[in-house]
Amino acid sequence: MKYFALVIPLLFLALFVFAIVRKIKLYDCFTEGVKEAIPLVLSVFPYLAAMLMLSELFERSGLSAALTSFLAPAFRFLGIPPEIAKLVLLKPFSGNGSTALLSEIFAQYGADSYIARCASVCYGSSETVFYISAVYFAGTGRKNLIKPIAVALISNFLSVLLGCFLCRIL
Amino acid sequence: MNAVFAAVFVLSAALFLVSDPEGFLPALLAGGEKAATLSLSLLAAYCVWLGFFKVLERSGLSEKLSRLVYPAARRLFRSDDREALMLASQNLSANFLGLPGAPTPLGIRATAAFEKRGNRYASDMLFVLNATSLQLLPTTVIALRLAAGSSSAADILLPTLLATLFSTVCGVVLLRLLSPHHVRHSPSGKRVRRPAPRVRRLKK
Repeated sequence: MKYFALVIPLLFLALFVFAIVRKIKLYDCFTEGVKEAIPLVLSVFPYLAAMLMLSELFERSGLSAALTSFLAPAFRFLGIPPEIAKLVLLKPFSGNGSTALLSEIFAQYGADSYIARCASVCYGSSETVFYISAVYFAGTGRKNLIKPIAVALISNFLSVLLGCFLCRIL
Repeated sequence: MNAVFAAVFVLSAALFLVSDPEGFLPALLAGGEKAATLSLSLLAAYCVWLGFFKVLERSGLSEKLSRLVYPAARRLFRSDDREALMLASQNLSANFLGLPGAPTPLGIRATAAFEKRGNRYASDMLFVLNATSLQLLPTTVIALRLAAGSSSAADILLPTLLATLFSTVCGVVLLRLLSPHHVRHSPSGKRVRRPAPRVRRLKK
């Protein structure tokens, strides 16, 4: 873990030294890159806003809780603890929301419990599918995203199954 | 996306109507507020990484790196578009390293480049790879566990890595199965068979 902190500073250092050797005008070049940041954020913003409003509605309306209790028996049958069902449902929508939920689970069950370890693996091995799709396809104007989203959701769900199983045996 | 948005929105709004009509607008506003603050922190991350990437590009390093992974990336994405493949492979490496905020701008550009050439398979593949998590070290989880007083915060490393690997392999296999084989897209976006070798006329 300690050495991992070295990665980012080393990356920057290596690149900048290399660029200086290559006689690149570092300041001009760096600022030219930064210039692209604002248009990028602007192009993504509407999709981001819609997505985050949706995830807020999903959670606060009780829809996520209702879905969780509805699906809990099926989840239990598949070997996923019902306490984690909510995390599994929330993760595709909201990164921040699921991070908050993960620390709640740690606080409630203890960080070394089976539930917490399961939740950690689920969190670490899946991604915010809807959020990423909103952002990546934002500029393309493409409408039909059923195939990629379905593939990503199914794969993430399968990895949750595997993760819960691994936590039991490892 | 339209269907998901409509379904979740209508269902949630209906639930609010029954249980807590006054909570509806605050929920929407909270979402908007999150979008505003998140955009600012994204802007900060993009400033850092877009500057970094421009230097990477200008120094000629990214060209060198992309030549290294070009054969593999070409197969994976079924594309011959050098520029887009370079962006995509940088996106994947940023994911592996878990550089926060770095994969997104690269991913957006690579997706746009693939879509511009009409290569949906490639943009789907890039999305699936990103959406099945590639990060080698789940740094957020470990930090959270440490903060919650875990005695062995890193013991989830192995199962997480295995599960992540599994989900990515699943995604790639599923997408390949669902995508009709095998149209290679030329840089011009047209479906072409290999062009007949042109006989170069020698001067003189």
